[in-house]
Amino acid sequence: MTELKTQPRLAPARPKKPTSMLRNALWLFVSLVIVAAFWSVKIKWSALGDFPTQLLKYIGLMLVPPDWSKFGEAFSATILSVQMAWIGTVLGIVVSLPLSFLASRGLAPRVVNAPLRLIFAVIRAVPEVVIAILILSVTGLTPFTGALALAVGSVGTLGKWGYEAFEGVDAGPKEAVRSTGGSTLALIRWGVWPSAAPDVFSFWLYRFEINVRASAILGLIGAGGIGKMLQDNVQFRNWDAVGMLLIVVIAVTMGIDQLSGAVRNRLIHGYWRIPKAAR
Amino acid sequence: MSAGTAGKTGIQVSPAHPGRPVKPRHGAQVGAAVVVLAAITVWAGIGVQINIAAIWENWSNASGNIIQLLQPDYGFFPKVIPALVETLQMAVIATAVGSALSLPLAFLASRATNPRPGLLRATRLVMNIVRAVPDILYAAILVAVVGVGALSGVMALILFNVGIIVKLVSEALDGEDPGALEAALAAGASWPKANRAAMLPQILPSFASQVLYTFELNIRASTVIGLVGAGGLGILIDNVRSFFRYHELSMIILSILALVLVLESVSSALRRKLV
Amino acid sequence: MDSTGADIRFDDVSVTYPNGFTGLKGINLSIPAGEMVGIVGLSGAGKSTLVRTINGLVPITSGRISVGNHQLTGRGEAQLRGRDLRELRSNVGMVFQSFNLARRTTVINNVLMGRLYHSPAWRTLLGAWKNDDVELAMSALERVEIVQKAYEKASSLSGGQQQRVAIARTLAQRPKVILADEPVASLDPPTSHVVMRDLQRINAELGITVVVNLHFLDLARRYSDRLIGLRSGEVVFDGPGADADESVFESIYGRSLTAEDVLDAKPVLDTEVDLNAEVELDAVVKRGAGSEL
Repeated sequence: MTELKTQPRLAPARPKKPTSMLRNALWLFVSLVIVAAFWSVKIKWSALGDFPTQLLKYIGLMLVPPDWSKFGEAFSATILSVQMAWIGTVLGIVVSLPLSFLASRGLAPRVVNAPLRLIFAVIRAVPEVVIAILILSVTGLTPFTGALALAVGSVGTLGKWGYEAFEGVDAGPKEAVRSTGGSTLALIRWGVWPSAAPDVFSFWLYRFEINVRASAILGLIGAGGIGKMLQDNVQFRNWDAVGMLLIVVIAVTMGIDQLSGAVRNRLIHGYWRIPKAAR
Repeated sequence: MSAGTAGKTGIQVSPAHPGRPVKPRHGAQVGAAVVVLAAITVWAGIGVQINIAAIWENWSNASGNIIQLLQPDYGFFPKVIPALVETLQMAVIATAVGSALSLPLAFLASRATNPRPGLLRATRLVMNIVRAVPDILYAAILVAVVGVGALSGVMALILFNVGIIVKLVSEALDGEDPGALEAALAAGASWPKANRAAMLPQILPSFASQVLYTFELNIRASTVIGLVGAGGLGILIDNVRSFFRYHELSMIILSILALVLVLESVSSALRRKLV
Repeated sequence: MDSTGADIRFDDVSVTYPNGFTGLKGINLSIPAGEMVGIVGLSGAGKSTLVRTINGLVPITSGRISVGNHQLTGRGEAQLRGRDLRELRSNVGMVFQSFNLARRTTVINNVLMGRLYHSPAWRTLLGAWKNDDVELAMSALERVEIVQKAYEKASSLSGGQQQRVAIARTLAQRPKVILADEPVASLDPPTSHVVMRDLQRINAELGITVVVNLHFLDLARRYSDRLIGLRSGEVVFDGPGADADESVFESIYGRSLTAEDVLDAKPVLDTEVDLNAEVELDAVVKRGAGSEL
């Protein structure tokens, strides 16, 4: 075996293993929080004993076989949720794009940045379904209410991601535009937008994917779509109809994810990539 | 790569000025994209019954509700606390369990760290299915399976978390430089050991920040899944909403807002320290 | 085993990649234990393929390679795989052009990667290394004179320092062979000499067989006992560096020698500066504080 013990000419002292008090304290804190949550939560963990058999039973009720006669209803409910998500995303983009420019440092005065950022943060804190409850009395119980709630929610996230992307753009192109005597508008159009655009487009797609999932919940308060069909059928324990809905939702959502992945790839890399079956 | 045709056919030369290239045209592509997007928007708009007039008509009776909403009933706060605490407990447990399950799954779901194409494809398919189901659907089904309460909520959130974390972390792994992994394999390590030693340290910061991000999402989600009986604030929201008690609803929203904003600032501070 | 190095034999070894590209054509070589061999050639000549076949990173299509008492065979025969392949690899250290460190973790953790084969899975999982392994890693760092950086993040080190950590990682394997694939291509000239001298010293003091790919002819001639010239996947020269004259270089490169092919003449104007830097560095290394580059 190789003998490594022959020392080199002049070995400096070996360093001691450093310890970080702050890091250890943080880990201790996080572990304590987790232990406390497990210890204090009102959950009968023994219920987990029946879980596997119960789960199998319900999977059987839902999927063996699903209620194929409900396919049409499940499909139109899912499509309605997708439509809500689309309108919500489009309105969200239209409102958030100018606002995120105004919220970016360097593109608008600080007095404009700060309140906008606060508004984005507040919106992000409130779940879409609560926003829907808030605007319900103004818009009535229609899918449009759901779309508006998703639009408001989208403004919160798209606004934030937008100004982060705009502020993250390399200083180089910005300086170049400024040095040619360009206005702030020229700076946005030629110094910021070209670099940030691919990211911003992919945020839009990502938010659409989120909205497709979030729209399901809005049916619970009467906005229609997946949530409504879910509620109607769970109430009367029509599990085979829920199973049908589950299958349609999974198929449509996966289809949308694949499509949006392909579009994102086209926008970022400049060419279409045929998505593999199980990417 | 940007101008697809120019890249393949070579640069075309302008007839008037030989030596200058002709401006590549993709007007048709952009035009087609705009038409498609507009058509989808019109179709979706009809589907969701966009109705601006209704907003005008409802404005007067709605203004009363909005005024009520601006006056939270602070006396209701003691009743919010237990639900708020339960929401927090659910979010913490679901984040802890969900992230622990996600880490090995993320390594199985990344092209960079899983050398077996069959296993890779199977993992990705299952994860795509898990991620496609909305959290509220999980919650509704799990309430039936394990009964009303926090347990069904926690399990729904765990599934929701695994879907998100595995996707984001496996993408981080895909984008990671595999050099150290190659070195570990060249030193005789098996794939699991090489992944642990060479890839895990590389993605730990992004894993940590995904975990904190999903924790924030969990707080928001756990307020909502209660609407189908899965514990937390949702049950309370459902009660006060059905009886149009807007002062109390307003108090609940205010509490959620305060909780999320506080946790978001704590988590972003943590993120800076951990990363 | 008396000698600490292992001998390497290539018997009619060919490599054809899945896309049809021929990497190596009928290579026959015999490298005795403890030799330091430099491999030169244009990029695409098969240098990388050649060293990567020795530890099985590139599987060979036909022929046979023996490394010590391990045998690597072509497609269709009983190929070395699983634990046997990993055992071979644990005896063969590898140094890469781009260092291949896990940059977000500490230097010592990177060096300990050399012990992965010998450590039980649970120790790897928890990062609970045996004291002997830590000791081995520390002495490997001492050998490349960079031990004081042990607990710093790899990303905070300069290129030359990172490459020496990578060399320490191979030393921690207690290897019989070290393969180096363009180890200095990402480094500046003075640092290149430090790294090459480290490899040379390891070869001389520990008797480990060293096979090193180099783009620069002068480096190859200066630091290796024996020079192998590759062109289009075939050996076109094999002999002591001193024998490699202008005509030999032409047969390897297909053209006469230019400034591009030697390290210390590139760019010509900087030669003097580079040489001066090297002289100073020599002094630094001899004082044993070479890590403060």
